[in-house]
Amino acid sequence: MIISAHNISYRIGQRPILNKLNFDIQPGEVTVVLGQNGAGKSTFLKILSGEAKPTIGQVLLNNIDLHSIPVNKLATMRAVLSQQYAQGLQFNCEEIVMMGRYPYFGGQPGADDHRIVRESMLEMQVDHLQRRNYQALSGGEQQRVQMARVLSQLRGKQSGSKWKNEQQQGLLLLDEPTSSMDCLHQQLALSKAKELANQGYTVVVILHDLNLAAQFADTILLLKQGCIVRAGNVRDVLTSEHLSEAYNMEVDILEPEDYDFPILIPARHKNKPVLLRS
Amino acid sequence: MRNKWITITLIVLLIAVVILSAGIGAMKIPPAQVMAVLLNKLGIHLPVIYDEGVENVLLHIRLPRVVMAVLVGAGLAISGVAMQGLFRNPLADPALIGISSGASLSAVLVIVLISSLPALHIDNYLPRYYLLNVITFLGACATSLLVFRISRSGGKTMLVTLLLAGVALNALCRALTDLITTTANDEQLRNATFWSMGSLGGASWNVVLTLLPFVLAPILMLPGLAKSLNAFALGENEAAYLGINVKRLKTKIIILATLAVGASVAVAGIIGFVGLIVPHMVRSVSGNDHRSLLLNSTLLGASLLTLADVFSRTIIAPAELPIGIVTAVLGTPVFVMLLIKQKKQLRTVS
Repeated sequence: MIISAHNISYRIGQRPILNKLNFDIQPGEVTVVLGQNGAGKSTFLKILSGEAKPTIGQVLLNNIDLHSIPVNKLATMRAVLSQQYAQGLQFNCEEIVMMGRYPYFGGQPGADDHRIVRESMLEMQVDHLQRRNYQALSGGEQQRVQMARVLSQLRGKQSGSKWKNEQQQGLLLLDEPTSSMDCLHQQLALSKAKELANQGYTVVVILHDLNLAAQFADTILLLKQGCIVRAGNVRDVLTSEHLSEAYNMEVDILEPEDYDFPILIPARHKNKPVLLRS
Repeated sequence: MRNKWITITLIVLLIAVVILSAGIGAMKIPPAQVMAVLLNKLGIHLPVIYDEGVENVLLHIRLPRVVMAVLVGAGLAISGVAMQGLFRNPLADPALIGISSGASLSAVLVIVLISSLPALHIDNYLPRYYLLNVITFLGACATSLLVFRISRSGGKTMLVTLLLAGVALNALCRALTDLITTTANDEQLRNATFWSMGSLGGASWNVVLTLLPFVLAPILMLPGLAKSLNAFALGENEAAYLGINVKRLKTKIIILATLAVGASVAVAGIIGFVGLIVPHMVRSVSGNDHRSLLLNSTLLGASLLTLADVFSRTIIAPAELPIGIVTAVLGTPVFVMLLIKQKKQLRTVS
């Protein structure tokens, strides 16, 4: 699914949140969105999901205006993982993951839906939490359950084997999916995202961890104050020059042997004046 | 599977409660005779002997009242579930957040209008009551929209604002209702405790008939929204991501929930806490999945209010205790418990 936008802007009142963005997001790639707090990353994702409508311009999904697609159809084409969910969700985990199948069944879930829920929970390693109350889980576990729900929504109305989707591969939007996860599950969640991209899905992820971005991104969009500082592949975007522009912070970039991605660390001695200022 | 058994248990409980409570009163009627009379009406003859007096008391006095209690209890419980789904909070009881008071105010206004304007006078019983029910429904609708608007900001329901909005609306609507009832001449209106504490004393088959469609509509239609209500619990945006037309869903919930509240207030006054305790009890046994929660709460609400009514009409017989007292005594501890449970959330909101 190709997402393209030309010259889109989004304002709240007079305040510009996103300013004249141009981009094409390709299927088969993990596109990572980076930027400071308040750079407009979440708004960017809301625009891609169709939740927010750009003040100027339009977003095209395979050349169709995103807002012309009915919500129930859209639900079978794209899945969204939000940063936060309502409090007091008195459901067990299996019930939460089953919600991802709601777009595909009427009254009661079928055997396929149950199978897909089970598989998605296995993929996020939350199958043992099936009957547990969602509210009683840790933040990271909750994130994995929500991720499993999103995966089950993306699986489409299939009856064949795992992930072999005859219809068009969908769009996966993740807003800081790993923020509460431990390092193992961060790798698990983003590997899954990468695997989906390799199968032709379109994946857009907001991240804060530059090293996870370097490891998993095919394309990076670096935002600052609602504008794109730079878009391109990992080594094009993650340079100390671009990062200091976007984050006001000096970063050293190491290229260890045996790794095909760079390692980024804060250049602490150079950052001291900046850090002290705040 | 487990939920199915809970539902079956609740159905059996409801039948037992109906049969037992129909037999309790000044004239005691054994359950066997109650069943015999009921089945006789359906054309099944049991070998149980009863006299005509028993049949008359049962069919014309006890049964309409029991059926009315069943309908009011079912209606209040299911609209409690729907409102709690809409506000995403288990404290959203129609009486607590001012919806019942809004309905009672509009009911009182209609009665005053009808009795003071001869042009509006409708002799026929049913149309008059249907008119009353429709108007109380509109009153309930208006108040719930108001509370909903007040208590939300940025797509989230603020619990503190919700409860305070309920307090404010309750105070205003009840003050106005009292003002009208104390100055009115109409017999029906002067009974102020009817509006504030509720009573099923006005039961008759006619009342049952006017109530029936308003309670059946939500019972039949809300289960169709069960999945959407579940998804709505994740959040408004998340429900939209799952393909739900959130705006239309909210409209449907408000209409269906207030239908039952409005009609039951029109015939039985304000009966609080049913919409709060019943869903809470069901949730603690079978969870928050609305596909079972709606039906189970309806059944339990019907049983519970029927029992509460038996209590209210027998405990100080021949006088009657307002049924709202019974439900408040049962409901307040549950309410306080839920408040304590939500303290953390309250703190973060304020």
